[in-house]
Amino acid sequence: MNDINQFKIDFEKYTKNKLFKENLSKRTEAFNRFLTKGFPNSKQEHWKYSPLNQDLTKFKEVKFVENSDKSIDEGYFEKFDHYKIILKDGILVSESLLTEGLTIAKCDTSSFFDVKKNPILDFNNAFYIPSYKILVAKNVKIQKPVVIYNFISASFNGNNINLKCNILLDDNSFLEVYDKNIFLNNDFVFFTSNLEINISKKAVLKKYSLNSNSKNNTIYNFAKVDLDDYAFFENFNLSHNFNSCRDEFVVNLNGIESKGSLNNVQHLSRNCYHEIKWEVLHNEVNTTSKQYVKSVLNDQSTAAFQGKIYVNSIAQKTDGYQLSKALLLSDQSKFLSKPELEIYADDVKCSHGSTSGNINKDILFYLRSRGLSEKEAKNLYVEGFLADVLEKIENKEINKLFIEKLREIHEYQ
Amino acid sequence: MISIKNLKVNVGNKEIIKGLDLKIAKGEIHAIMGPNGSGKSTLSYALAGKDGYEISGEVKFKGKNILDLNVEERAHHGFFLAFQYPVEIPGVNTNNFLRASLNAIRKSNSKKELNAVEFLKLVKEKTKELKIKEEMLSRPLNVGFSGGEKKRNEVLQMALLEPEFVILDETDSGLDIDALKIVSNGVNALRDSNRSFLIITHYQRLLNYIKPDFVHVLSHGKIVKSGDWKLAIDLENDGYGQFLN
Repeated sequence: MNDINQFKIDFEKYTKNKLFKENLSKRTEAFNRFLTKGFPNSKQEHWKYSPLNQDLTKFKEVKFVENSDKSIDEGYFEKFDHYKIILKDGILVSESLLTEGLTIAKCDTSSFFDVKKNPILDFNNAFYIPSYKILVAKNVKIQKPVVIYNFISASFNGNNINLKCNILLDDNSFLEVYDKNIFLNNDFVFFTSNLEINISKKAVLKKYSLNSNSKNNTIYNFAKVDLDDYAFFENFNLSHNFNSCRDEFVVNLNGIESKGSLNNVQHLSRNCYHEIKWEVLHNEVNTTSKQYVKSVLNDQSTAAFQGKIYVNSIAQKTDGYQLSKALLLSDQSKFLSKPELEIYADDVKCSHGSTSGNINKDILFYLRSRGLSEKEAKNLYVEGFLADVLEKIENKEINKLFIEKLREIHEYQ
Repeated sequence: MISIKNLKVNVGNKEIIKGLDLKIAKGEIHAIMGPNGSGKSTLSYALAGKDGYEISGEVKFKGKNILDLNVEERAHHGFFLAFQYPVEIPGVNTNNFLRASLNAIRKSNSKKELNAVEFLKLVKEKTKELKIKEEMLSRPLNVGFSGGEKKRNEVLQMALLEPEFVILDETDSGLDIDALKIVSNGVNALRDSNRSFLIITHYQRLLNYIKPDFVHVLSHGKIVKSGDWKLAIDLENDGYGQFLN
């Protein structure tokens, strides 16, 4: 059980720290909402598959200690040409956005949003560290990706980091953002991020995330994306052996002919547990959405997917698609799937599919008949199963990076 | 080269191949023809080592009973099955698969594995001979390939792996006349005195292009008649009716 009184003491302590001083009244409102709701539990429909329910019962105090060591291991930097934003233990350490039309500022925290039934966001809003805000000016197409290096260092002496970030694209602009999470700590850390994205008319945002080998963290990533007319948002997420994580997207297709594409591939082993919760809301005519989830599950790992397509009564000619496929490579692995369609318009095309099973025997026979051992054949198949989604990444550098990561995963299997 | 003695294959409780004897010498091409349900595909799968069959008898190849080997070991030994329905594998790049396959076979025969550059050079030569567009090799394996492309890809694999014993399982099915010619020419180019073929087909048509040394009729899981290539013409004229009772 969590100790509410301890949390109250911790909140008092936080508000005295210069990092957490701003927006005190809003923080307090959020904290009080959190106290009323408490951490989520499996009886709540939106949280019933969540690994956080179990993990957070062990979370007894909220502790953050600013790391005085600001040094960074540059060995983690990508080799291709890019702009950098570097976060260490939640604090913005440095950035190099040296081009016209692309700016970084402190996160705009005036827009607190309250998502119903989401106590973790209330928690984030109470204990957040204001992080980055990326702005792209009108008609500016940023040629190089922005890579956000999010380090949680081995020397971090706390158990909680909460980020708040914004990405804002003005009309007809273009940006690619790659989130590289580097978790080097061995002790338990509860990490949350709360990202607000706004994509104006005809603007395009492509976002990529790579999450690998988090040993002992519980992670909650939330992003809300608002799209205006003809705007496009695309997200690719590759998760590998993430101890415990919930990834949540709310995508509002508010503009006519706006498009959203969410893609997640994951390769989990041991007791890793990854939950995905996506909600795409078609709020205007001629909007399009695609959701793809592919999971490879070994050992006692679990993946859960709750994907929703909501179609407002005015959103005629909506095209919504959702597909999840899971390969269960052990008897103890689990895939939990809950597709949802909520449609109030009558002239729409919406479909969903969900499959889970083992590797097709005919495929294994074919590959082995060409000389590959059973293990080589399985690896090739599994790699292809996930690469099928990642091949859609148009940026050649990022595509190569993700495909190489898949190969690396198999070499250590 | 290959000697099959009293081969019996059961699927569940049903006996599909009921004591088959066949000898194929080095460099020979044999065709097995038969009606639907006579056991042709079961024979090809059982020889290639597919799971799910209960098999007895003996299949000697280069002095070894290959029934003791698993699927990949048979491939390492020089067996090759050209599939009737090559499987589609999304996400697996055709080029990568071909290289992995070739290197697995080379490695098992203590030959040096080819690096990407060496492989590309080799595959370029082979695709040219088979009129395969290089673009096809950068696509996922068999995904979205036409019937002709899939079969040409099978022949390309054969050309790369250079097996000693090849089973062509209804390679002519689903091919138009032009594709049939290209595939047949590909097979004919691989004919030599050290390589043997077993062609499994319903129709005589394929045998107009790949002329067999011997033709056998398979019915109810047994070879009921053998002859030279003229037997195929008789079958085309008279049908399989005489062998069905």
